[in-house]
Amino acid sequence: MKNKRTLLMSFLMLVLIHASSYSQQKTITGTVLDSSSLPMIGVNIVIKGTNSGTATDFDGNYSILVSEGQTLVYSYLGYETKERLIGSSTTYNLTMKASSTDLDEVIVVGYGSQKKGDITSSVASMKTDLLDQRPVAAVDQAMVGQMAGVRVVQTSGVPGQGFNVQVRGAGSISASNQPLYVIDGFPIDQQTQSTSGGYGSGNPLDNISPNDIESIQVLKDAAAAAIYGSRASNGVVLITTKKGKSGAPVINFNTYVGVNKTVKKLDVLSSEEWIERASEAIDYNWVNSVTDGSRNANQTSAEREAILGSFNRNFIKDDRWAMPGHPGLEFVDWQDELFRTGLVKNYQISARGGTDNIKYYVGADHLNKEGVAIGLGYKRYSARANVEVSPNDKLTFGVNLAPSYSIASNPGVEGKDQQLHLAVSATPVNEDGVDYNTGDNTVYTWGASRPSPVRYVQNTTGDTKLFRTLATMFGKYEVIPGLEVKSSLNFDNSDSSYKFFTPGFTDRNRTASARHRTYRRQSFVNENTVTYNNTFDDKHDLNLLAGGSYSTYKFDEQRIQSAGGFATDYITTLNAANGINQGGTYTSETKRVLMSYFGRAQYSYDDRYLLTASIRRDGSSNFGKDTKWGTFPSASLGWKINNEEFMKTQNVFRDLKLRASWGVAGNNGVGDYASIATMGISNYSLGGSSMPGQVPSNSANADLSWETAETYDIGLDVGVLNNRIYASLDYYVKTNSDLLLNVPVPTSSGFGSAVTNIGEVQNKGWELELTTRNFTGDFNWTTNINLSSNQNEVKKLGPDNSPIYGGSFDIQHNVLQVGLPMYTLFLVQRDGILSQEDIDNGYPTLGNQSAGDHKYVDFDGNGSIGPEDRQLSGDPNPDLLWSVNNTFKYKGFDLSVLVQGQQGGLIYSTFGRAINRTSMGFVENTVGRARDRWRSAESPGAGVEGKVNGSFGRIKNTDWLYSSDYWRIRNITLGYDLGAILKSKSIKGLRVYVTMENWFGGDKYSGGFNPEAVNSSGDDYGGFPLSRSIISGLNFTF
Amino acid sequence: MKNIFITAILSIWFVSCSTDELDQSPISDLGANGFYSNTEEFEIAINGAYSTLRFFPDTQFHLQEVRSDNMYAITETGVRPFEPVNNLDNSIATNTYLSDVWDTNFEGILRVNTILESLNDNVVSDQATRERMEGEAKFLRAFFYFDLVKTFGKVPLIDQVYTPAQTLEIGRSDVSEIYNLIVSDLNAAISLLPPSFSGNQLGKATSWAAKAMLGKVYLTKSGPTYGIEGPGLNSGEYNLAIDLFDDVINNGPFDYEDDYATIFDYDNENNSEIIFDIQYNSGAEVGADYPSITVPDAYLRANGAGFTNGEDNKRVSEDLINSYDLLDVRDDVTIIDGYTDENNIFNDVTFYGKYIDLNFKGRDRFDWGLNYPVIRYTDVQLMRAEAILMSNTGRQTDVDTPVNFIRTRAGLVGNLANVDIDGLLAEKRLEFAGENTRWADLVRTGKVVQVMNAWITNDDVSGKIATMKEDFVIYPVPSNQITVKEGLYQQNEGYN
Repeated sequence: MKNKRTLLMSFLMLVLIHASSYSQQKTITGTVLDSSSLPMIGVNIVIKGTNSGTATDFDGNYSILVSEGQTLVYSYLGYETKERLIGSSTTYNLTMKASSTDLDEVIVVGYGSQKKGDITSSVASMKTDLLDQRPVAAVDQAMVGQMAGVRVVQTSGVPGQGFNVQVRGAGSISASNQPLYVIDGFPIDQQTQSTSGGYGSGNPLDNISPNDIESIQVLKDAAAAAIYGSRASNGVVLITTKKGKSGAPVINFNTYVGVNKTVKKLDVLSSEEWIERASEAIDYNWVNSVTDGSRNANQTSAEREAILGSFNRNFIKDDRWAMPGHPGLEFVDWQDELFRTGLVKNYQISARGGTDNIKYYVGADHLNKEGVAIGLGYKRYSARANVEVSPNDKLTFGVNLAPSYSIASNPGVEGKDQQLHLAVSATPVNEDGVDYNTGDNTVYTWGASRPSPVRYVQNTTGDTKLFRTLATMFGKYEVIPGLEVKSSLNFDNSDSSYKFFTPGFTDRNRTASARHRTYRRQSFVNENTVTYNNTFDDKHDLNLLAGGSYSTYKFDEQRIQSAGGFATDYITTLNAANGINQGGTYTSETKRVLMSYFGRAQYSYDDRYLLTASIRRDGSSNFGKDTKWGTFPSASLGWKINNEEFMKTQNVFRDLKLRASWGVAGNNGVGDYASIATMGISNYSLGGSSMPGQVPSNSANADLSWETAETYDIGLDVGVLNNRIYASLDYYVKTNSDLLLNVPVPTSSGFGSAVTNIGEVQNKGWELELTTRNFTGDFNWTTNINLSSNQNEVKKLGPDNSPIYGGSFDIQHNVLQVGLPMYTLFLVQRDGILSQEDIDNGYPTLGNQSAGDHKYVDFDGNGSIGPEDRQLSGDPNPDLLWSVNNTFKYKGFDLSVLVQGQQGGLIYSTFGRAINRTSMGFVENTVGRARDRWRSAESPGAGVEGKVNGSFGRIKNTDWLYSSDYWRIRNITLGYDLGAILKSKSIKGLRVYVTMENWFGGDKYSGGFNPEAVNSSGDDYGGFPLSRSIISGLNFTF
Repeated sequence: MKNIFITAILSIWFVSCSTDELDQSPISDLGANGFYSNTEEFEIAINGAYSTLRFFPDTQFHLQEVRSDNMYAITETGVRPFEPVNNLDNSIATNTYLSDVWDTNFEGILRVNTILESLNDNVVSDQATRERMEGEAKFLRAFFYFDLVKTFGKVPLIDQVYTPAQTLEIGRSDVSEIYNLIVSDLNAAISLLPPSFSGNQLGKATSWAAKAMLGKVYLTKSGPTYGIEGPGLNSGEYNLAIDLFDDVINNGPFDYEDDYATIFDYDNENNSEIIFDIQYNSGAEVGADYPSITVPDAYLRANGAGFTNGEDNKRVSEDLINSYDLLDVRDDVTIIDGYTDENNIFNDVTFYGKYIDLNFKGRDRFDWGLNYPVIRYTDVQLMRAEAILMSNTGRQTDVDTPVNFIRTRAGLVGNLANVDIDGLLAEKRLEFAGENTRWADLVRTGKVVQVMNAWITNDDVSGKIATMKEDFVIYPVPSNQITVKEGLYQQNEGYN
C-alpha cells in the first residue's frame, strides 16, 4: 500500500517538473560538421534530462525548441559526445571529433560495468556496431576472427549448428571447453559439444538473433571470470542486447537477400576414372587368382565365366564399360547432384527510444537460409522486447523478453555413413542414375549397395523445431546515493522437437523408419546483488559488490522410435509404424542445482593505481557428497603509467597501462549424477519372454568435484601517436588441474574407465590486439589485427601418468601424454611405395604386402609393421591464429574486409581414411590422388597412392594426416550510404551493401571438406563444408 | 519503501535457498545405493548377470570357429577383424573380439560379485531362494572365468568387488588359482541349484548344467600344457570328469534328439538335448545376432533380412566340406552352399547357416529368437568318450556307442569300432561344425598344432595363414589393458 502511494506521488511530481520546463522556449538552429567540415547526417540531439530531441538532416542542419539554461547533448556513434549549454544565442554550430579511443567506453563485466580504461584483467571486447549491417546468421558466426585469444571454430557447415568457442586453448580433457554465456546478466546453462560435433541438447546461443546484440565481451583470464566461479574456467562471454535510449524513436529496418553455395567440393574420381580403376582391379584379381599363369587380362567376360563356372564380379568386368556410349549405364557426379545453390533471406525491424520513465527496444527478425545441400535449411523467427520502467529516479523495473522459434532441417548429411559421405564414396557408374537403388531399382552388380543419397535427402525429413523463451525480470533500487540493490529472476525455456522420417523406397532395406525426440530444457536463475559505489577525497574510487545466486536446471527428454517399418510411406507419424523400438523409446529427466555467494571490491587511487579482488563460493548438486562447495578467488592490479606526473611532459604515449592478474576459476562439467553409482537396464530372455535386468553402470566417487583453472596474466595497453596506434598485449599461463578425467582403468574392475579429478594441463600463450587508424580524414582507413598463440601441454595424468590413448576405428591414433600437447597424434609413418626390391630385401611389411603397396616405417625395428610402430606425429592445436580486418570509408562508401586463418595445426581425418582406405577394393569411389596411383614398376605414379589391389590391412598412418592451416576472407562488405542522395525528412539513413562471406579462401585439407571439422571423437568423419555466400542488403533508418 | 524492497529480496533469497537441494538423486536411473534390498531386486540383478551371456556366441564364433580348420575366412577385398584371427596373425592384441571377451566377462564378474556381496538373509529371507541365487551367481562367475582362462590363460582374480583404483594393483593370477575359484564355484552351484526350472525361470542354470560344466572344466584342465600358461594343466583329473559326465548321462533328464535338424529348430527350444543354453527372444530387445554373423549380408538382403554394410562372407573350409559323406544330413543343416543374390546372380560360396531359419526372421539381423546351445547331451556323451580315451580308462563301449549313434542319426551307414582319439575328433567335427567347439576340442586333446599345420598346408591356397605354434593356443591380452598401467600385465608369449 505504502509502496503504491510513493509510486503515485513520484509520478505526479515528475509530471509537474516536466510541465514546468516548458517556459521561455525558443527555437535554435545550427549545423553539425565533422573534422573535415563535412555535414554530419543523423546526429542525435537531445535536451539533457528530457526525452525531447531531434537529429540533423542531410545537410547537417537541425532546429530544436529549447529554453535558456538547458543543455543539448550531441551524440553520434564513433564520435565523442558533446554538450552545449544554451544561452541567449539562437545558432549553435558544432564540429564533432571522431572518438580516438574506446577507453572511455563503458563495457560490461561480470555483475556490473567498468570503463574500458580501468580494466585490470583481460577482457576482449567485440565491435558490434556493424553487426546488424552484416549478414551473419548467428552470434557465434559473428565472433569469428574478432577477438584475440577467442578461437571460434566452425566445426560444421550445417546451418543452425552451434560453433565451438575456445577461449585461450582447451584446458579440459573430458569436461566441456565451451565458455559460459551470460546474456544481459543471465548465466545460460552450459552445454558441451558432443563427440559427434553437435549440441544435441541445445546450445546457449540457440535462436539468438545477432541483430539484437549491442555488445559482446569475453572475460578471458580468471581474474575477470572468477566472479562466475565453478563455471568460468573456459572464459565467460557476456552478451548485452540492445536497450532503449532516451530520445525520439529510431526505427530500423534491415534486410538482405543472397545466395550461398558450398565452399568446397571434394576431388574424387570421375566416372571414367572409376571404370579405369575398377577394370584394373578386376583384371589384376583375375590374372592373380591362380598361380599357374593360365589366366590373362585379355580373356573376355564370357571366357572367364566359362572357366569359373559361375559369375563373380571380382573377376569379371561389365562389358558395357568399354562400349562406346556405355549403353545402359549412367554416369553420376554425386556431389554435383547433392549440392545446390541456396537462397538466404533476412528481415529485421526494430524500434528503440524512450523517456526518462520508460525506455524500450523492440525488434522482430526473420531469417530463412537454404543450405548448400538438398534438404538442408534453417529458418528463424525471433522477437525481443527490452523495457525498463523508472517510476522515480531511485527505482527501476525492467523486463527483457525474447521468444523465438526456429526450424533446422537436416535429413542426415554430416558424419560417418551419412549422405555426404555416401555421395563422396558412391559408385559414379550405375544403371539408374540418381534413382540408384531406390524403389524397384536394385544394386548395380559392381556398385556400392547404398541407395541414392540424393533421393534419400529429398525424401527424408529431419527437422528440429525449437521454441525458446528467454525472460528476465529485474528491479533495482538506490537505497542511498551509491548503494544499489538489485534482484533478478531469469528464466530460459527451450522446447525442442525433432522429427525424422525416411520412407521405405529410398532406404537401403526398403524399410521406412522414424524417430521423434522432444526435450524441454529449463533454467531458473535468481540473482541478488548489492553494490556500493563512491569516490572519497576525489582520489579514492571504490566499488563494492556482494551477492548471492540460486539456479536450477531441468532437462526432460522423450524419445520414440519405430521398428519394423511403416504400413505406408505416406504417413510419417509413428501411429503408422509397424512396431516400436523399445531401446529407442523412453523418457528421462535430470535436475541440477547451483547455489552461490560472491563478492568483489574494485579500488582505484587517483586514476593511477587500480586494484580488483573477487571471490565466489559455489555449491553444486553435481559435486560428490564430500566436496559440495568450492571457492574461487581472484585479484588483479593495474597501473596507468600515463597518468603519473613524470609522464605529463611526454606526448608519445597517450595511453600506457600495465596489468597483472591472478585468479582461480572452475569447470563444473561433471555429468549429472556422475558422482553417484547408478544402475543400468540389461534384460535377459527367460522362459520365452524378456525379463527385467539391472546392472551396475558406473562406480561412485564421493570426491568428484570441479576442475580448477589457475591463471596468471600480465598485460600492457599502449596508445601512441595520439592513439592512432593502439595495442593491447597479454601473456598468460593457465593451469587446469584436478581434471575431470575419464581415466581408463583395468576392465577387471567391471568398468572401462572411471571419472576422477586427476591430471593437469597447462596453456601458455600471448595475444595481441592492434588497431591502427591509418587515415582519419575524408578517407578513413582503420586496421584491426588480432594475433594469438597458445601452447598446450599435458602436465599430469592418471595414476603413474600412464598415457591415455584415444581415437576411434581400428587402433588408437592419438595420445594424452605428459610433456606433450593434448591429443598428440600417434601414427605409423608412411614412406612412399614398396618396390619389388624392397620386398626381395625383406623390407618390413604390414601383413602380406607386395610391390606397389604402401611402405611404412618399421619404427621398433622388429621386422614387421604393426601398432607398435606408431610414433608421435604432431598435434592438432594450431600455433597461430590470426585475423586482419580493414575498414575503409570515403564519403558515403564503406568497405570492410575480414581475413582470418590459422597456422601450424594438424587434422587427422578418419573421413579421409574411410574414402581412401588401403585395400578398399574398386566398388566405392575414392579421392583424386588415386589417379596417379602405382600401376606397375614402370608406371609408379606420384608415389603416394599404391596399387589398386592391396590386400593388406589398415593401420593408422600419416596418410590421413593433413595440415589444418587455412586462410579465409570471411567477409567483404561494400556499402554506400544513400542518405546523401535521398533528401527526405522522414528517412534518417539508408545504406545499401553487398557482402561476400567466405567467398575466397584456401586450405591444405584434401581428406575432407572442413579443416576445422570435429564430429567423431575429436576427428573429422565427414564434416559438412562451410557455405560461401554473396548477399545484398539494405539498412533503413527512419 | 526501502525496507519493503530489501525484505522482498531477502525473502526471495531465503525461501529459495536450502542447501539440502544440493543433494539430488537420479530421476531416471536407479541409484545403486539402496538397490539390492529385497528379493525382487535380486531377481532383477541376477537377470542382469545372465544378460552378460548374450555376447558369448559372437566371440565364440569369431575366436573359436574362425580360428580353427573348419573355416577359411579370408576375403578378396578389405580386411575385417576376423581375418587376422583366421590367419594366425601375431599382432592381434588390438582385435576387437579379444577386448569383447576380456571386458564383457569382467563386467559379468562385477555383476555377480556385487550380488554375492550384498546377498544375506536380511534382504532375501527365504533360504531356498537365497541359496538358488547364490548358486546362479557362482555358476555364472565360473562360466565367465572359464571363458577367460580358455581365451587368455592367466587373468586377474577378482572374487569380490574392487574399486577401479584397487584393480590397478591386481595383476594376473596363475591359471591354477583361477581354476580353484572355478571349481569351488561350480561345486557350490551343484549343491545350491535345483535340478530344473520352469515357467519364466526356464533357461536358468540348473545343478545338471553345473555338473556338465564342471566335467568340461576338469577335461580342459587335464589337457596338455603346450609349454605355455594356457588352459591345460595336465592335471590328470579325467576320472573326476568321467564321474560327472556319468552322473549327467545316467541320472539327468536329458536324451538325444531323434532328428539332428530338430536340435536347432526355432520351435523346438529347450529340447531334450539342451543341458545349458543362452536364451534369446525376438521382438523384445533380447534378440540374437549370432545366427547372422556367419552369413554374408547379401544373402540376408536377398532374403529380406539384411543390413547393408553387414557381414562379409566367411567361408567354410574346403577340408570340412569334403569331410561330409554324401549320405550325411548334417552338412545340409549346417552349411549353406551358395545363394542367389538380389540381382539374381548365383554366388558360389559356402558358409554356416546352422542357426538361420528364414521363417523366423526377427525385426532385423540382430533380432533372431533362437537359443544358443552351450552344452548339449551329445557333447557330454562325446566329452565322456574323450575323457575315457585320454585317460585310457578302457570303457571303449562308451566311446563307440555315442559315435555310432550320431553317425546313424546323421544317415550314415556302417558302425565303427575301437574309435580312437583322432576318430572321435573327426566324428565330433562333423557333428559340431558351426557350434564353435572345434578349436577347444583340438586344444584339449593335444592335437591343435599338428592338425592345424596339416590343414594349412592343404587348404591355404592363397598362402595367407601363418604357421601354427604352441603360443597361439591362447590369445594375447587386449592391448588397451596392457597400456592402462605399464607393467601391470605382461603380454602372452608369441604376440606383440
